[in-house]
Amino acid sequence: MFSFAVGRYSRVKVYRLNDDGKWDDQGTGHVTVDYIERSEDLGLLVADEEDHETLLLHRISADDIYRKQEDTIISWRDPEYSTELALSFQETTGCSYIWDHICSVQRNMHFSSLNNETFHSVNSDLKELPPVELSTLPLILKTVVEGGIADQLRVTELILNDQVFFRKLMDLFRISEDLENIENLHIIFKIVRGIMMLNSTQIFEKIFGDELIIDIIGCLEYDPDAPHVHHRNFLKEHVVFKEAISIKDSIVLSKIHQTYRVGYLKDAILPRVLDDAIVANLNSIIHSNNAVVVSLLKDDSTFIQDLLGKLKLPSTSAESKKNLVHFLHEFCTLSKSLQVGQQHRLFRDLVNEGIFDIIADVLESQDKKLVLTGTDILILFLNQDPNLLRSYVIRQEGLALFGLLVKGMLTDFEDDMHCQFLEILRSLLDSYASGSQKENIVEIFYEKHLSQLIDVITSSCPTDGITQAVSNSESFDGGTGKQSSVKPEILLNICDLLCFCIVHHPYRIKCNFLLNNVIDKVLFLTRRKEKYLVVAAVRFMRTLISRNDENLMNYIAKHNLLKPVVDVFVANGDRYNLLNSAVLELFEHIRKDNLKILLKYLVDSFWDELVKFEKLTSIHSLKIKYEQSLDSAGTRSIGSLLDDPRKRVEDRGLEKEEEEYFNEESDEEDSASAFVTNASRAQSQPALPNGSAPSVSPVRSGGLVDYDDDEDDEDYKPPPRKQSDNSDEDGSVESFPLKRKLLQIEEPEPKRLQRIAKGSKSRDSVFAALCSTLSQAVLPSKKMDSTVQDGPCSDGDEKSVESNHEEKGNSTDNGSADLDNHDHREPNGPKSYSESMHTSPDNRQRGEDYPLIPPKSSPEMAVNGS
Amino acid sequence: MSDLDRQIEQLKRCEPLKESEVKALCLKAMEILVEESNVQRVDAPVTICGDIHGQFYDMKELFKVGGDCPKTNYLFLGDFVDRGFYSVETFLLLLALKVRYPDRITLIRGNHESRQITQVYGFYDECLRKYGSVNVWRYCTDIFDYLSLSALIENKIFSVHGGLSPTISTLDQIRTIDRKQEVPHEGAMCDLLWSDPEDIVDGWGLSPRGAGFLFGGSVVTSFNHTNNIDYICRAHQLVMEGYKWMFNNQIVTVWSAPNYCYRCGNVAAILELDENLTKQFRVFEAAPQESRGAPAKKPPPDYFL
Repeated sequence: MFSFAVGRYSRVKVYRLNDDGKWDDQGTGHVTVDYIERSEDLGLLVADEEDHETLLLHRISADDIYRKQEDTIISWRDPEYSTELALSFQETTGCSYIWDHICSVQRNMHFSSLNNETFHSVNSDLKELPPVELSTLPLILKTVVEGGIADQLRVTELILNDQVFFRKLMDLFRISEDLENIENLHIIFKIVRGIMMLNSTQIFEKIFGDELIIDIIGCLEYDPDAPHVHHRNFLKEHVVFKEAISIKDSIVLSKIHQTYRVGYLKDAILPRVLDDAIVANLNSIIHSNNAVVVSLLKDDSTFIQDLLGKLKLPSTSAESKKNLVHFLHEFCTLSKSLQVGQQHRLFRDLVNEGIFDIIADVLESQDKKLVLTGTDILILFLNQDPNLLRSYVIRQEGLALFGLLVKGMLTDFEDDMHCQFLEILRSLLDSYASGSQKENIVEIFYEKHLSQLIDVITSSCPTDGITQAVSNSESFDGGTGKQSSVKPEILLNICDLLCFCIVHHPYRIKCNFLLNNVIDKVLFLTRRKEKYLVVAAVRFMRTLISRNDENLMNYIAKHNLLKPVVDVFVANGDRYNLLNSAVLELFEHIRKDNLKILLKYLVDSFWDELVKFEKLTSIHSLKIKYEQSLDSAGTRSIGSLLDDPRKRVEDRGLEKEEEEYFNEESDEEDSASAFVTNASRAQSQPALPNGSAPSVSPVRSGGLVDYDDDEDDEDYKPPPRKQSDNSDEDGSVESFPLKRKLLQIEEPEPKRLQRIAKGSKSRDSVFAALCSTLSQAVLPSKKMDSTVQDGPCSDGDEKSVESNHEEKGNSTDNGSADLDNHDHREPNGPKSYSESMHTSPDNRQRGEDYPLIPPKSSPEMAVNGS
Repeated sequence: MSDLDRQIEQLKRCEPLKESEVKALCLKAMEILVEESNVQRVDAPVTICGDIHGQFYDMKELFKVGGDCPKTNYLFLGDFVDRGFYSVETFLLLLALKVRYPDRITLIRGNHESRQITQVYGFYDECLRKYGSVNVWRYCTDIFDYLSLSALIENKIFSVHGGLSPTISTLDQIRTIDRKQEVPHEGAMCDLLWSDPEDIVDGWGLSPRGAGFLFGGSVVTSFNHTNNIDYICRAHQLVMEGYKWMFNNQIVTVWSAPNYCYRCGNVAAILELDENLTKQFRVFEAAPQESRGAPAKKPPPDYFL
């Protein structure tokens, strides 16, 4: 019976290469390395698993004829039979075990030919073990622990052949213990340890058997180098085998106990003594025991039904339900020992028997530890096959579980770790996963659960007393305003999940985030006193911005969403901490990727505050970049200066129409920018969702607004680049032409290309708007510094900008939206920010000039702007 | 005795903390680490230690040789986890000391303080084995993201786990790294944690490690000159003598895992700097077998299967 369990890894198929060059299956059996009868040579023996006939007998050769393939095959050309043979192992462990054996036998052969003397050392002529008596203990010890590998194999063989060796040894142990003969006990300890070091599977089979193992553990209590530990006492008195559901099969029971004891021996008794090979051997015993237990239980036709049935039964007591859940957890954990296919079938069976309903029930329990055990079970299912859970949660009966998972993430588990919830939700929402249900899951999540997450943030951040106190760091102390008692780590998890969503659902988040002011609300986190939450909010913005989505960037500028970020940066002062670095990195990203919308917005709106930090290279370079933008814009759009200001007014009339036009086009614009997003992600964000795409290759992914260069440059010639000529401060020489090529290469299909062409229309106009603003601001006086440092654009500038881009005839609302916001904001900055947070109708209207939203755009906008 | 002191005592006996204690510890550590700089300033006197790699009992030797924290001010150059048997206890002890004595111990990040690497080299499995779930691993790896990237001692000695980066010529440039992320596969942050100095390389060379770069003496000379520092102190590479100078004393490798992986046969070293930055290397050997007592782990006393 034991041999079956251990046999898992000695189980092999024997193959022989026939004359046709094909492998013939010679049968299945168990392989051992043993002495070939009537010789001193070691060989590989395979005995048929059914009739125990010898399938293979191969004398191990000293020559290098063996090959190990794919971890489970050992093959060689047999010199005696002059044929190719191969052993195909069921388990990799078995294969590497036999392989190691072959190698060590070979080493010994080489060694013996070099030095015959050593090889024939103490035990080489050993015909039998010394008699097992108290007086011979030292001799037995010497026999066991001395000698080379060949000696040890010989000793192993002798011990195995001697049916009474261990019984006698254990008798001596008990006698010595009764007599308290410490000296003998120490010797017996060393003998037993020495026998374990022989690392023989067959010996382990024997000594881990029910009748010997407790005494063996007893022997191991008497380590002369360590204080006496009462292992047996612990095993007998303290260890409880909890029978959550009665197991009748005595083989299963015996294996369960044995597994625990072997594990205990390995982890608690001899952890420092055992070498890797022995540990591997013990692990494979545990592993195969587990497999036997799980597979016998699962094959028991009624067991799973009994188990789950009992869990579903209302009359089952809470205590016994709890035990059943823990049992279920262990059962699922141990099923990892099964082969993949078997485990998959088992899990599918469990799902069909309604395990997820049970877990949903468990997640509603008041016992938080039990809830976490439930999530651990779910994680096991996700690791096996995420689609099992995915297809469940989109069904009507699965909605509850989905809801509970979201709720769990938001629940305070006090001292307990509960990161499993975030883990599970991520896995469910992973857009890179295969499977058809993922769209539905994402749909459900955004429809039903997103707002829940956001509400937790808004309800746990101070809502007032914040915006007016930009320079006063005290006000960030979080003490103001009412806060619910949500733990900061829950907020951190929410923020992480939202960042994950930005990366995985770039289109969906646009719609949801913009409609519901999600971004504003997440930025409430900047008011928390825990700096890591503030940093998390900055990271959220950074993740959004790395989408490189023009709509998003306009939205950010329009709604002044970098203000909270700048505020915390300024309030943080000169402290060089993670917050400082995170914000500087965000600015660097805007500068290096030349995100003109944000660059302009940032410098226009916040230079007065940022100027205090100009000694920082990043801040200084930001300004330089801004000025270069002005510069290049200025030289390119002098023409626009000549435009008749009156035209502006007429153009206003066109706006509604234009907006409708853009609303129609919004889909395509979307995908166009999405494409650019993808392309740039591929270049600048190699691996990480929150990757700061550090600076090794200063890739410019800001392709969006640069498209205007293509107006007269369809062939992707390098555009006129005034900025690089005089950009001493801006050390990174941008690979502009290269970038164009990359873009070209990555354009996947003509359809997309067309879309870009259309989409670029609006981009052009935005850029035109931007350029003309800048040119207006700069050119007339040619005094760049003064103009810019005067603060954000004056009213007049903005108006002329609007006129400009509208005159171009293909206006977007984006440009004007940006400017409208200026109108709102500039007179009394901070206040209007708070306004925009709290007056949601206003926000909604502002949101409406967004192409994603039905064309009901606001005439007010026009009024505001003009 | 506060909980934290009690936990430190427990960890010093190589007994891991409970999950709930790990969670609380990590949250406190997060608050402290978030305030640190990418180039953390450190005052002399200070004792600099290289890789530990979960060799808990050897780290106890280290503290015997170098003195206890907080009496001695320590700077650890990363690679606390993986390979050895006690990554959990090692890292948690260092983290607990950090929380208890934030100004007396500085921990910076090594290339093994990473989700990817720890899944391959042992820390992940160890957490799974010791706690039955990977929650502790998740918390610890989250903390890794907050660890500082380098240190600057008295403006004169730049300390980092791996080495230099072609994208970093001034210390100022390290400031704009948002370090709160998994160690990237390329870029400045990756290089700081992965690069190696190499005699035969002139300038920059490809690293056989697959991440970071090899850099030659000229690179170090110009970096030290630009930033007005005396020398660079780093870890990351096994040196049999425990420490090794290169490029005419412009860079030194300090290695603090004796008998690395319990089989390399090397000695370990720490570098003590007094208030005048006078150097003294203290070499030590692996802890003797008998001091490595402590049953690694008692399995939970009840079982179902």
